[in-house]
Amino acid sequence: MSSSLFWMIIGATLWLLGLHGLLTLRQALRRIIAFNLMGSGVFLVMIALAARSQPSDPLLIALVVTGLVVAVSATALALRLAGVAQGPEHPTGQQEPRQ
Amino acid sequence: MNAALLSLSLPLLAALLLVLLRPARSGLCVILMSAASLTAAAFALQQAISLAPQLLQIGGWETPLAIRFQLTPLTALLMVFTAGLHLLVALYAARSPHATGNEDYWPLSCLLHASLVALWLSADLFNLYVTLELLSLCAVALVALAGRKAYRPAFNYLMLSLAGSLAYLFGVALFYGRYGVLDVLVLAELTEADNTTRLALLLMSVGLMLKAALWPLHLWLPPAHSGAPTAVSALLSALVVKGPIYILWLIWSQIAPPELGRQAGFLFAGAGILALISGGWSALRAPRLKMLVAYSTVAQLGYALLALGLLLHWQEPRMEAALWLFILAHGLAKVSMFLAAGELQRVLGTRRVRALKGASQNMPVAMATFAVAGGSLIGLPPSGGFLAKWLLLQPLFEQPQHWPWAFGVLLGTLMSAAYVFRVVALGFDRARPNPPSVKPDPVAQWLAMLPALLVLSLALISEPLLLWLGGVAR
Repeated sequence: MSSSLFWMIIGATLWLLGLHGLLTLRQALRRIIAFNLMGSGVFLVMIALAARSQPSDPLLIALVVTGLVVAVSATALALRLAGVAQGPEHPTGQQEPRQ
Repeated sequence: MNAALLSLSLPLLAALLLVLLRPARSGLCVILMSAASLTAAAFALQQAISLAPQLLQIGGWETPLAIRFQLTPLTALLMVFTAGLHLLVALYAARSPHATGNEDYWPLSCLLHASLVALWLSADLFNLYVTLELLSLCAVALVALAGRKAYRPAFNYLMLSLAGSLAYLFGVALFYGRYGVLDVLVLAELTEADNTTRLALLLMSVGLMLKAALWPLHLWLPPAHSGAPTAVSALLSALVVKGPIYILWLIWSQIAPPELGRQAGFLFAGAGILALISGGWSALRAPRLKMLVAYSTVAQLGYALLALGLLLHWQEPRMEAALWLFILAHGLAKVSMFLAAGELQRVLGTRRVRALKGASQNMPVAMATFAVAGGSLIGLPPSGGFLAKWLLLQPLFEQPQHWPWAFGVLLGTLMSAAYVFRVVALGFDRARPNPPSVKPDPVAQWLAMLPALLVLSLALISEPLLLWLGGVAR
């Protein structure tokens, strides 16, 4: 088995693990981590594909960098939303300050 | 192409300026901007029709490396549709501030507009992923504007939509690994029906179906769309779910080899019929008005899925025009319906369908809006919905072995008639009405009526429309 195939299998496994977590877990933080695991799985597959040739394919590396930026911003939004959604419960009648 | 780029950059620029400067009258700025973007898109449409489809290589790179923008009559028409609907919703939202959540609505809706236009123009699988992600981030932020009770649906929406994007991205990676290109037009000539292509197409379709809330992956949509502020619900149902459907159409009709399309088309069409039935049933039983309208989106997307499935299954080009007409007619009708529902809900002070009893006596225009928009969803002539359904049924009637599909469409039509008439019959009841809790605003009701009147008159401009959508044999 070539090393790139090995890493592709690892990436696909990570993606599946993340998907399973995202669909079955209930806590917000765990779901966010599961989504990041899925993202890492895809990026690992892409890097493994890039490493098939020597020197490695620069286009795929560029795609992974762009994908990382997207994943980071999505994670930031998710963390903020999870934070306010799970923040301390206000007693009834008290208004939540507008974000 | 320049007009198209202008139509893309105007909302982007407006969003940035609105965030930085925070002007006092954001609503007016957005109305002016979307009117300008609409004009630019109309110019682009005129250019796309008179000239051949145009391509732009961003940054001037060579073909395999370049990210390409493509302007065809269809993309130009979708740009006009996006800018037009944004303008209509902005007119209503500027009149009724309660419909927007808070001031952050304005820059976010402009960003949504820009990312959708970028999505229509892209002809590169990875660039489509980026625009898709931008679109869903804007949509989630807009849902969260409704305040505390919407945070949980917004979070669930974000998580499922990210899972969908990553499934799509996995498919893109497999495509690149197999063929070494991402450009849609180049890929269209290379693809073969092998296992890698099958797996990639499967992953991409599942991801996109999750993002477009196509049956059976629609469960996140009703809470997210009904929990959002009224103007946002209208934008989400009319525009946001159409983006993934466009990509689904693009990968299956352009990239996928026809023999795979024939197999998958059957599944798509079956899912479309089931969406019509299950969405219609849930809408019929929904206790709350906005929930009913959100379930009707699930059902109506079933028509689009059915048209896409039959387009692939029979390689029938007439279905393509039916698909896009459904998208246009549904967008216009659904904007009207959500705005009318929001207006009714605010004035009556309750979300329940039952409370609408006799509502036409206090708010005749809002109830009439609901009825007219509902007429297009059912497919009554001369609305856009009728035109689309006519196009869909024509090839179905030609051969007796296609009649079971026509029966499915009939069942879906009866379902949509049932849930529309459930509301209309209550609203036009002459019983003693629920007293309104605030004074009804006639101008806002007429603004909600505007898209419904447009969809009603869509059949009158059907000839140029069909010509732009790829023509119909006459």
